[in-house]
Order: sequence, then structure tokens, then C-alpha cells
Amino acid sequence: MHEHIQQRIQSIIQNVEQLPSLPDVVSKIINMVNDPDVSFKHVADEIAKDQAITANILKLCNSAYFSKGKEISSIDRAIVILGLKEVKDIVVIATTKSVLNKVIVGYDLARGELWKHGVAVAMLAKKIATECNQKAIADIAFTGGIIHDVGKTVLALFVQSTFKEILNTVTEKSITFQEAEKVVMGFDHQQIGEQVAIKWKFPKVLQSIVRYHHEPMNAPDDHKMIVSIVHIANTLCLMAGIGIGSDGLYHELNYDAIKLLSLKDSELEKLFADIPELMMKAKDIL
Amino acid sequence: MDNLLNIGVAQLAVAENPVIMRTILGSCVGICVYERNKKIGGMAHILLPKNPGNANPEKYADTAIPMLIQQMLKKGCKREFMTAKIAGGASMFKFKSTTTLANIGENNVEATRQALAKFSIPIVAEDIGGSAGRIIDFFLEDGRLKVKASGDEKIYYKV
Repeated sequence: MHEHIQQRIQSIIQNVEQLPSLPDVVSKIINMVNDPDVSFKHVADEIAKDQAITANILKLCNSAYFSKGKEISSIDRAIVILGLKEVKDIVVIATTKSVLNKVIVGYDLARGELWKHGVAVAMLAKKIATECNQKAIADIAFTGGIIHDVGKTVLALFVQSTFKEILNTVTEKSITFQEAEKVVMGFDHQQIGEQVAIKWKFPKVLQSIVRYHHEPMNAPDDHKMIVSIVHIANTLCLMAGIGIGSDGLYHELNYDAIKLLSLKDSELEKLFADIPELMMKAKDIL
Repeated sequence: MDNLLNIGVAQLAVAENPVIMRTILGSCVGICVYERNKKIGGMAHILLPKNPGNANPEKYADTAIPMLIQQMLKKGCKREFMTAKIAGGASMFKFKSTTTLANIGENNVEATRQALAKFSIPIVAEDIGGSAGRIIDFFLEDGRLKVKASGDEKIYYKV
């Protein structure tokens, strides 16, 4: 292991200013939506405080993926027509794009690829949750899908300098790319991502999604289901080549996650086959 | 690069010199057919092997490849001057082998070979299998194919 790299990563984590930032409004909205007593008005007021975000949110409300057909011209109307959870997901899209829509060196992702990957995983995770009778958590699967790889934005520079070593470790030890990241650098992109989610004051369930998306069975028991959903969505999107980088498919498709969701082979294949249509719907989000 | 044409998942296109066609592959297969006389090329990015019936033809090897070749013939390409290069068809590094999902890469390659054989179009180069993601650039100037995988680049010149 490269101790100097491990130390540099450690210092980034401790000095949270070096981790990506997000406006406070995002965690406020996420936590408000989880509160059963929250008033629509309160949420709308909170969003409206930020003019720039509001304009962007209204545009997204009227996009092909989110629109319910009726023109939405205010946040109040958006909450009434789309619902609080949907508006929360739109807030997440509007605010995280600047963090994720970057060139990710090391992982060899051109500008836009990691963002496209996050959006694809979000949409597919939401679809899986809905089809597997987990509709109540579909919006959380969506948010988790968007941000699950945020750790890559921080780790990329270190992956760039150690890439050959990580890949050699994968083949020599027959371990996944993310496990090899840990062997070579002392940290993997899931752990860094978890620190980002903590900095952003995101709830525990979102921290778990980011932390365990490659190893769903290690997630806390009450998060295993949702982490499994994002794990499968992530695997399917990578197989379809959406946001696949230098780490390729050097990952695991966890069979226990498939069993937990009682997904049949034919259902998995159908989800995979539907990815191109899902991406068409997302065109104006990307 | 002004001449760059990105092909998305389950899409196909035909273009001519000096266009460079690009796609990014996981378990999908990228089929690059080149007509060396006219310097016209076609690329298909297929997701699955067999079309169950009336589904989007561009998504499946057995329907996308005939469609691609028809489009090339329409542009005046001659079948005897066509050759193919194929790339992709990767699999998850770790998986339980009984899931059909895990074998999609392999099945895609097999269905691609069969569909090209039906048109007697020879495959002159293959960069397939393993667990790497691939970015492929198909240069219609001379039909060469650049494959970037796991940080390395390879170029296949044969047409």
C-alpha cells in the first residue's frame, strides 16, 4: 500500500473543505420530506429562497421524465402536481449536477459520463423499487442512484497515478476493482463517497447506499433492501456501458441482492433491455 | 474532433470518410462494418442477442445487423467489399454463473457472429470478452478501429 497516498486521502477527509460542497437547501429539503408533519408551504418557501435553483427546478419539472403533462410554473404547483418526493429528487438533480458533471481522470470518464451514469442508475433504481413492491422507498433509491459514485470525483487523481497497480492487484488477487482500490490506496471510492454524504448532512440511508453499493450484503440490515436495489441498477447500467470507465466490469454482481429482491432472470433481462428507452426519457435532464 | 459521431446504446448509423464513429461498450457489442471501396462505414451498438418479436430492431444483434447492412447497400456499398470488426461483450468480473444476465456478453458476441455470417461478411478483427469497458473509435478514412480499454489503446488496421 502507498502510505503517502493513504495519508493524503486521510487529510482530505479530515479537512472537509476539500470535499465537494452542496447548497444547504438540499439536506434541508431531504430531511423535510422525511418529516410526516411537514407543510407544503414550508418546503416551497425554502426552495424559493434560492432564485437560481428555482428556475432550474421549474425547467426540470417540465422535462419529459418528470412532467405529468401539465405546465408547471411555480414551486407550489410542482409540489401539488408532482408531490413532495418527486420535487425533492428534482432539487437533488438541479444541485448535484455541478459536482458530478466533470471529467473524471483516472477512471477515464469524459465530461458528462459520470453524470449520465448517476441519472441512469437513479431512474433504473426507482423503476426496480416500484416493480419490486418497494414504492415507498423509490424516491430514496433515485437520490442514492444519483450520488452513489460521488467518491470517484475525489479519488480520481489518486487512481490516475496508481491505475496499473490497482488493475494488477485485481488480476493477481482475483478481487474487484473497488477492493483493489482499498489495497493500493487504503481507501475505496465508496468510503470517500460516504464522507461526502456525511458532509452534505444526508440521512443515514443515503450514506449506506454510497458506502455499500458494491457490497450490498455488508450494509446495515434495515438498509440492505435499498442498497441492493441501487447495486443491481448500477450493475445493469455498467453492463449497458453507461458511465463505464477504466474500472470496467471489474466488479461483482451480488447474487444475494438479486435473491433479496426475488428478481427472476427474465425480470432482470427485461430491466436491462429497457435501459435505452429510459435514457431517451432522460435526454433533457442530462 | 468535428467529425466525431457518437453512437448511443441500441443505436446504429452509417457515415462516410472523414467521420469517426465512437461508442462506449460494456456487455454490449459494437459492430463496425467497412466498405473499403467507397470508404463508407456503419456502426451498430447492440444490447442483447435476439429480438423477441417487434421490439426496437436496433437493440438486438439479429435485427440490427441486417438493418445496418441494408442501409449500407442503399448507399451503394457492395457486399464483396465489406468487412467487419467487432468489440465489447464483456462480463461482470464476479457473478454466479447461473444467472443469464452474467452471460449476456458472450451471447451477444455469438449472435453477432451468426448475423454477420448470414451475409457472408468476414470478421477481420475482434476485441471481445474479459471484464474491461471499451471506448471504440471507428475511422472511416481507412476503416481502422481504435479500442481503448483499461487505460491501454490498441489499433486494428485490417479491413
